Amino acid sequence: MNDRDLDGQLDALFALARASRSDTSAAEFAFETRLLARLRAQTETGPVWAMVSWRLIPFFAACVVALTLWHSQVVAETNEAEQMFYVENPGPLDSWNNLN
Amino acid sequence: MVSAKSSTPDEQLVEATLAGDDNAFAELAHRHKSRVFGVAARFARDTAEIEDICQDVFVQAYFKLRQYRRDSPFEHWVLRITTHKCYDYLRKRRRSGILLSVDALLESGHEPSAPEHPAPHPDLERLHAALAQLLPKERLVITLLELEERSVQEIADLTGWSTANVKVRAFRARAALRKLMENQK
Repeated sequence: MNDRDLDGQLDALFALARASRSDTSAAEFAFETRLLARLRAQTETGPVWAMVSWRLIPFFAACVVALTLWHSQVVAETNEAEQMFYVENPGPLDSWNNLN
Repeated sequence: MVSAKSSTPDEQLVEATLAGDDNAFAELAHRHKSRVFGVAARFARDTAEIEDICQDVFVQAYFKLRQYRRDSPFEHWVLRITTHKCYDYLRKRRRSGILLSVDALLESGHEPSAPEHPAPHPDLERLHAALAQLLPKERLVITLLELEERSVQEIADLTGWSTANVKVRAFRARAALRKLMENQK
């Protein structure tokens, strides 16, 4: 079957589908009532904290990154200080070795 | 509650809703629900899913009403939300992963969404089964173009895609659909 035949067949099917719009009247019945009930439920159970807490996620993520950086910097400085102290004040074993 | 405001223009109802009158929003929903249900029914065939899409549309419209600019009719704005909700629905359904072959769909006589009201015409069943196999973008564009008879410009406005993008996607969608229909033979 060539493309032109298939195209014509498709167009005919589209026309058929356009003509047979599904009946949604049953679903539409009292839709506004259900909608308002949902809106009320959402506005009542949607506290400010829930919205704020989601918006605070980037802030908390930034805090975690900053704390991690600060911690790694403090650890590095502490190690450096310990090494300096070790060089300036060698332990008893090192003193003994130096004497010998 | 609804009939008392039936002559009020949409814009006034929007203002009233923003001022806290939920009945005004109920009137807006009453006026535009048929259009929204009609579009949703092109994508979902299960009544509960159609209802869910429509509720999501009006809930979003309610909470984002302040973003509605009065430069176009309220109906256009709602239809834009509807288009996006239908697209979200198609993507969710695809992600849920129920992708059967066209033959399997035809044998079962169902789309993956399990229609409660199967199309009466067997050829329409074939079309719906093939449409269900398309990518969400393809299905969206071909449905709006061929079933809703929207122009390329209108589809671009509804989806936020460029007109060139709409044309390319429509072309690809039609080619994919042709191939699927051919395989059904």
